[in-house]
Amino acid sequence: MIKGYAGRTLEVDLAARTFAFKPLDETTAELYLGGKGYGTRLLYDRAEAGIDPLGPENPLIFATGPLNGSVAPQSNRFAVVCKSPLTGGIGNAACGGSYAYGMKRAGIDVLVVLNRSETPVRLEIDGDNDTVTFLDAADLWGKGTYETQEILGKKKYHAVIGPAGENLVLYAGIVSNERIAGRTGVGAVMGSKKLKAITVKGSRKLEMDDADAFKEYTKWVRGMFKEHPVLGESLKRFGTAGIVGTTQARNIIPTKNFQRGNFDDALKVSGEYMEDHELVGVKSSCIHCPVTCGRDVELEGVGRVKGPEYETVALMGPNLEIGDIKKVSEWNYLADDLGMDTISLGAVLSFAMELRDRDMLDVGVRFGDPSGVSDIIRDIAHRRGLGDDLAEGVMRMSRKYGGHDFAMHVKGLEMSAYDPRGSFAQGVEYATTNRGGCHVQGASMYLESVGPLTINPQNLKLKADIPVVQQNLACAINSMVLCIFTTYGMIPKRIHDMRPDSFAHKALSFAFENSGPLFLKAMQMKGRPMLWWEKWLTYITGTPLSGGHLQEIGGRIFNLERMYNLREGVGADTDTLPPRMLNESTFKGMTGGHPLDQLLPRYYKNRGWDAAGIPTAKTLEKLQVSI
Amino acid sequence: MGKVLGVDRYEVEDVVTAADVIAETKKRFGASGAEFEELTRRATLAVNGVLMNYRDGKKTRLANGDVVGFVKAAAGG
Repeated sequence: MIKGYAGRTLEVDLAARTFAFKPLDETTAELYLGGKGYGTRLLYDRAEAGIDPLGPENPLIFATGPLNGSVAPQSNRFAVVCKSPLTGGIGNAACGGSYAYGMKRAGIDVLVVLNRSETPVRLEIDGDNDTVTFLDAADLWGKGTYETQEILGKKKYHAVIGPAGENLVLYAGIVSNERIAGRTGVGAVMGSKKLKAITVKGSRKLEMDDADAFKEYTKWVRGMFKEHPVLGESLKRFGTAGIVGTTQARNIIPTKNFQRGNFDDALKVSGEYMEDHELVGVKSSCIHCPVTCGRDVELEGVGRVKGPEYETVALMGPNLEIGDIKKVSEWNYLADDLGMDTISLGAVLSFAMELRDRDMLDVGVRFGDPSGVSDIIRDIAHRRGLGDDLAEGVMRMSRKYGGHDFAMHVKGLEMSAYDPRGSFAQGVEYATTNRGGCHVQGASMYLESVGPLTINPQNLKLKADIPVVQQNLACAINSMVLCIFTTYGMIPKRIHDMRPDSFAHKALSFAFENSGPLFLKAMQMKGRPMLWWEKWLTYITGTPLSGGHLQEIGGRIFNLERMYNLREGVGADTDTLPPRMLNESTFKGMTGGHPLDQLLPRYYKNRGWDAAGIPTAKTLEKLQVSI
Repeated sequence: MGKVLGVDRYEVEDVVTAADVIAETKKRFGASGAEFEELTRRATLAVNGVLMNYRDGKKTRLANGDVVGFVKAAAGG
């Protein structure tokens, strides 16, 4: 068995109440790594085309990768893969917390949950004794994710859903500790199976090819992280909400349902504000991660809880014209406890508020007014009254009530909090990412508009190239399974330390921006492992994997996802942005929105797809994607 | 910026260029020394969301109603 893997998968049939351990397919592991990649391959092969995402035929796949179970920083995450009930295409989400570590300790690389239970059930998986116990979960059904985990035991490894998942809210997520696999409705799929919780335990250790080299190298990486301005300083001190000032100044923080790109009170929901006013005690982190991007806040009547991160503060702050971190923290806690994706929730609320402004629908909430928001969040989770419509997401709401022009989703997945009109590569990424309007399946904005080495985000240079590289890298990262934040470290400290107005910085930015097709070619060159995730993989598996190798693996995964989407009817016509993004400008002196039509053809070409956005046979063969 | 200057936003008048904004900021808030140097070292200015590097640098001319921001590199989720 390849080192780094437990060597087995577990299939659990909730209807028959049976389970079976099976060997991990090594060829698939070599081609797709694990995590999202392995899960996508399994989904493509096991699920028939056209299944109902909330029906029993939709397999719910929990997948780890070769880095999970190690003590490498940012390495304890798991991927969830299924058909998405929100988009009808590929559904996937990743989550931190401790569940991934638990799965690897139980000696399980991939868990496949099949069919559906008639009554609420939870699973206890003992990886040492190779048992799966099916337990009645009627007493837990209806409880929030925090209480559920409390009852099941704090020192154990759980993946749970809340009422939102139970009630099939299409953007319900799966929670581990205080982290969530939020996007694409994976929690609704778990709820459709009447599966409330999974608890894993075991004492197996990860086998590595060169444990000594791994250990020594990881010491160096930890030291490097500590000195890094993002991984060791800004994320630790301010969390991801430390980016609010940057997106505000760059005019790309979603404001009033993306009508604008800046908000007068934005800094009142920033990481800096939380540090000065709301932060309590120790920051929180996923198991073994030194970055500690999480932060705790004090909530009246509740106590100390997980505070909001950037997406939540932006989409439930400026996007709703709210500049009150207490309120945003309260809604964040509510959403997490109910088990809902705060990105989709924020976008649904802002859409509802704009419908109200336009006299198209009144659910009792409006821009700039926090009253009624907590109530509607609860109504959504329980599908009560108009909450039932809001639980369907922005795309379906716009089909029912109108407002297509300002329905901020791509492929049905609500957009995240970087306005692409100020970040053109990010816009191409939004339009083409297989799961929909998401930013962490690439994070192009980091190389383009918010990171230390930026290029002009509003011209066409590199904007069809950066997304390809970033999407491929993210596919590989989400298959190892690592936190995407690790990629922020690939711009070293010495570049962060350059003055932005210095000749050296300007020269570097100019060279990058004008690298054209060389950029893509350079990123795809196979050589020796250089970055830490490449070296970790090498030390663990024994197979040297360089950046170019991971670009190939990532490209393979991305193209398989694409083929899955095409098979399910999520076609190239969905490679677009909301009309507001394409037609309205938020920049003084500029007209028009995002120039996607000028970039998409080149993106397709970079991908090796035809003009209609279909991967060619040659591309699939080159990448060894069998369909 | 707020941590260095003590305010999140302020208005300025009678400035013509981005360089004038930096000078006026330094003068108005008495900001000096290591902290202000750190602010201007790590951050650049954006005029209406566009970095001055992509306009005329510190010579970027301003108009009435323009919004100027100190922008530092950051990473989010």
